[in-house]
Amino acid sequence: MKKLIIVTGLIMLMLPAVHKAGAQELTAKAIITKADEKFNGEMSGYSVMNMTIVRPTWQRTVEFKSWSLEDDYALTLITAPAREKGQTFLKRGTEMWSWNPSISRLIKLPPSMMSQGWMGSDYTNDDILRESSVVDDYTHSIEGEEEIDGSNCYKIKLTANDDAEVLWGHQLWWVDKKEFIVLKAELYDEDGYLVRTERGTDLKTMDGRFIPTTIELVPADEEGRKTVLKILEVKFNVKLEESFFSQQNMKTIR
Amino acid sequence: MNDYQLAWKNLWRNRRRTLITAMSIFFAVFFALVMRAFQLGTYDKLYKDVIESYTGYLQLQQAGYFDEPGLDNSFEVDPGLLKKLENDPNVTAVVPRLESFALAAVESRTQGVMVLGMDPDGEDKALNIRNRMVRYKLTTEAAEAIKKEGVPQRTEKLLDVFLNQSYTDESRLITDLGISSTDTATVMPLMRRHASFRNGYLTAEDTNGVIIGSGLSAFLKAGVGDTITLMGQGYHGTSAAGIYTVRGVVKLPAPDVDNILVYLPINEARNLYAAPGMATSAIISLKNNDDKAVGQTRERLNLVKGDNLAIRTWQEMNALLLNQMEADNRSGAIMIGILYLVIAFGVFGTVLMMLAERRREFAMLVSIGMQKGKLAKVVSMEMLLIGFLGVAAGVIASLPIVFYGNARPLRLTGEIARMYEDYGFEPVMPMLLPDTYYLWQVLVVLIILLFTVAFSVRKIFKMNVINALRA
Amino acid sequence: MITSIAWKNVWRNKTRSFTVIAAVTIGVFAGVFSMAAINSSIVQRINAAVNEELSHIQVNNKDFRSSGDIRDIISDPSAVISTLEKTAGVTAVTGRIIVRGIASTSAGSTGVEITGIDTEKEKQMFTIDRKLIPGTGSYFGSDTKFNTAFIGEKLARELNIIRYILTSEALSGLETAGVPLTVIEKLRSLEGQRFTTEKKFSAAYSELLSAKELKKYGLKIKEAGWSYREGSRIILTFLDMNNNQTGAAFRICGIYRTNNDLFESLTVFVPASELRQLTGIGEGQFHRIIARLEEDDLTNDVTPVIREALPGYEVMNWKEIQPDLAMIADYINQIYAVFMVLILAALAFGIVNTMLMAVLERTRELGMLAAIGMNRRRVFMMIMLESIFLSIVGGVAGMAVSGIVIAITGHTGINLVKYSEGMEAFGYSAHLYPSIGAEFFVTLTILIVVTGIVSAIYPARKALKLNPVEALRGE
Repeated sequence: MKKLIIVTGLIMLMLPAVHKAGAQELTAKAIITKADEKFNGEMSGYSVMNMTIVRPTWQRTVEFKSWSLEDDYALTLITAPAREKGQTFLKRGTEMWSWNPSISRLIKLPPSMMSQGWMGSDYTNDDILRESSVVDDYTHSIEGEEEIDGSNCYKIKLTANDDAEVLWGHQLWWVDKKEFIVLKAELYDEDGYLVRTERGTDLKTMDGRFIPTTIELVPADEEGRKTVLKILEVKFNVKLEESFFSQQNMKTIR
Repeated sequence: MNDYQLAWKNLWRNRRRTLITAMSIFFAVFFALVMRAFQLGTYDKLYKDVIESYTGYLQLQQAGYFDEPGLDNSFEVDPGLLKKLENDPNVTAVVPRLESFALAAVESRTQGVMVLGMDPDGEDKALNIRNRMVRYKLTTEAAEAIKKEGVPQRTEKLLDVFLNQSYTDESRLITDLGISSTDTATVMPLMRRHASFRNGYLTAEDTNGVIIGSGLSAFLKAGVGDTITLMGQGYHGTSAAGIYTVRGVVKLPAPDVDNILVYLPINEARNLYAAPGMATSAIISLKNNDDKAVGQTRERLNLVKGDNLAIRTWQEMNALLLNQMEADNRSGAIMIGILYLVIAFGVFGTVLMMLAERRREFAMLVSIGMQKGKLAKVVSMEMLLIGFLGVAAGVIASLPIVFYGNARPLRLTGEIARMYEDYGFEPVMPMLLPDTYYLWQVLVVLIILLFTVAFSVRKIFKMNVINALRA
Repeated sequence: MITSIAWKNVWRNKTRSFTVIAAVTIGVFAGVFSMAAINSSIVQRINAAVNEELSHIQVNNKDFRSSGDIRDIISDPSAVISTLEKTAGVTAVTGRIIVRGIASTSAGSTGVEITGIDTEKEKQMFTIDRKLIPGTGSYFGSDTKFNTAFIGEKLARELNIIRYILTSEALSGLETAGVPLTVIEKLRSLEGQRFTTEKKFSAAYSELLSAKELKKYGLKIKEAGWSYREGSRIILTFLDMNNNQTGAAFRICGIYRTNNDLFESLTVFVPASELRQLTGIGEGQFHRIIARLEEDDLTNDVTPVIREALPGYEVMNWKEIQPDLAMIADYINQIYAVFMVLILAALAFGIVNTMLMAVLERTRELGMLAAIGMNRRRVFMMIMLESIFLSIVGGVAGMAVSGIVIAITGHTGINLVKYSEGMEAFGYSAHLYPSIGAEFFVTLTILIVVTGIVSAIYPARKALKLNPVEALRGE
């Protein structure tokens, strides 16, 4: 009996140690990897969202349904407002097409429109199409811990590799320690000036996963401008084939 | 006999001398006037082309639009404000417009275009658009048919030079094809029969018609009746897309504009770009267009317009063009300056000689009692008279040439013409009718004369009569 | 003997002679100098086009110019190169890979033409390496493992790679440049603030200064705020040989400045080897092979020779690629001619007039000479010679003055910065360095002398008609 208590006691003592060691073993890179997987993994499948573009003198909201396969394929159907209802966008790798039913025209997005905002928002076509990896294209370091919206977060600095094909100089991420959700990100250019801030709020459980349902994109340098994305519905692990993402489907999807 | 008569008689005593001096002045004035007429006429035309067919002399815009043109800086049209502006004595009409970019597509051909949403009647009143619609086009079929019917050889050759050109009026067609006044009666009916261009116009209520520039029509291979699609981004980032039918083809003088312009009735443009009731600018057309009137009108209108609106002048709207023309203008002025300098020395030399030659004569006059002052006065008068003769002759000789050059401008062809068009200018060099620049030439000559007069007077006063008599 | 008399006569009446000489001098100077200014402007443009942008002869795959497709390479590059090298008149040959793509930074993206070059060989043919803006790095100088790119100033501005910051060094630099302390203190509030575009920067400092201060120091302030960090990153995206979109990060090794805005915003130079790696274009393959000739004038003769030797390719010379340049070069001669005729006509008037006066003034003297037996022809010759001397002296003086002024301004340059916006939009520099060809100089001298002679004929004939008896009696 005494032996059992000692053993259990030892085990009890050891458990927290193991736990702590495990936590220390979580490198900055690992944290980012987990956060990245979570975000990208979560967005696969089917979702219904709306996007509000906020400007100093006006604001506008667009609603759409989206199907995606990993990070490579996506099909988006605009459902509101009425003017733009029925337009679809297809992303295959680094190329994007758009279909406008009112003029029955299918256009491939010319490279010259890369820096324009999608649907007039602060998300550029470049953001949507450029394939870069937060894990592979950056080096990572833990800068400390901070509280964001009541959650304890790792503050991680991502420094772009010298030869990485990324536009940013470095980024700062605040990753929730428990769920590995990115609650805040700041994107800086090469000279260290803040270009954009991204915030994830309204954490809810949807289709069994705990995710931020409101994502805000705020460009620095300009007053009163931002884009707010709200996730209304989401389904994960929907079976989708690559053939689903076709020009033909662009015209017929409902 | 008064001094004036004396001076006049003196002039004709030595006719040769008088004539030669007057001739050099005549030469300078004549040449300077013709050259300036060319230069200033060409600038004037360049500005006028852009202003009178596109920007207008004054425009009403939202205050931030000038620095950041775009649909998002458009303003809501307040009919009350427009009425107030139209009440100004110099304003004939205020015509709103909605302008933005789009991608135009005809079948598989695409081109970036400037969509100009306008009031078809208002814009016509302000910028005379109806008169700029294409009336004749020298297509290959038309040229063949005309040649077959038989035309003077000169016209035949010119038909090849101007193949595929569009014309908005008969006079230009006649000039380009070298149709003489005698041939007009026989040749023009042929033109009308084969080269007439079937054209249309827009009404304000038209919801699917557009008018496109002749350059754009050629590039997209789209004519009257063809379908054209317009796509782009509208107000506040909404998508803009629409399908339209070409109702007419216009030919604007500035090729830069003619190659990309699409006219659309403003209400349909507002629909297309999701900007109801908005305008990006309003053309303010004036009765009196000269610089002073434009400036004054702007001052007055500035007091009436709202706070977040601004009135822009054509100079502001065409700043780059102005810069280029100014540079050219300066170089032209320098060339003329050089010419005058050379002439001045020539005149001076002549005067010197004249004084030297008449030394004895002057000395004689003074010794028999004429006051030096009076002598100086007479001699000065002589010079001024010669000057006036030269200037008058120069001016009179230049007038017919300038008037001709204004009515029938020099038209460049071939390589040079193409180069001009590449730079966005129409290859025509008209002359400017007599204006202040005429006065300038007279002024310069006067200054030259004054110098010589001053010099002569001094020489006369310093003259030692006895030495002179002995010479 | 007549000659020496004529010569002495010239100097007898100093005022008269000096006036004529002055007229001729001014005329010559004016004509030559203005021609030099215009000539140099055009020569500069042509040289820039040839030495920085086009070189003399370009050989492309027949479809490449219109398609821009990366797969339209030259089918037998070694044959083309050896043909060119063997052609008489060709001094250097190099090949280029040209890929159309996009350049991006965090501020935006724009379409560019990515040109892969053999960095050493290009120096023999183009002077773009000398167009480096001092202080922005080097023309592929540093030995680095990163991809490097050499870009134009206009592009750097468009992508906000060039920014405007008034650092404390910049402000002290302004102080040493003579900007008053009061102005610098006003600018102090902007210290360290970064402006992404020139417009925002000028708007900011314009607000703080008076109109007068702005006019005087505005340009200096703008230059002082110009800031660029060496080795900035730019992302180039383009299609590879398999039509797949690819790209890479490049470091900017230097920024070049020509006077051609369009060229600067479109052309990005990278080492060919780097571009080959990314696109899969093989070693020794090119889209364009360029030949440089000994002289611009050889172009018209050499082009057909090369065309015949390379029938399967598109062969173009610089005049064909940019016909407006060729035209200006030809057109300008006509303008010279017209202008010179005018100046000479003006001169002629002046000389005729003055010589006529001289003759009339010397009626008595001429009468005397005739009376003592000088025959008419000699009198005629004497007057003619006087005119010729005057023209020559004036002509030489004019040449000398123009020569000096051209030499000076050719060195220091004439600054037309006020018109630079308009001129550079057309590709012309706003700094003129007048220069003129020697043959032009000589032609002019001859023309002037001839004018002098011709102008003298009328007065000289007048002298002949004088009746010695009447002349002696006085007027």
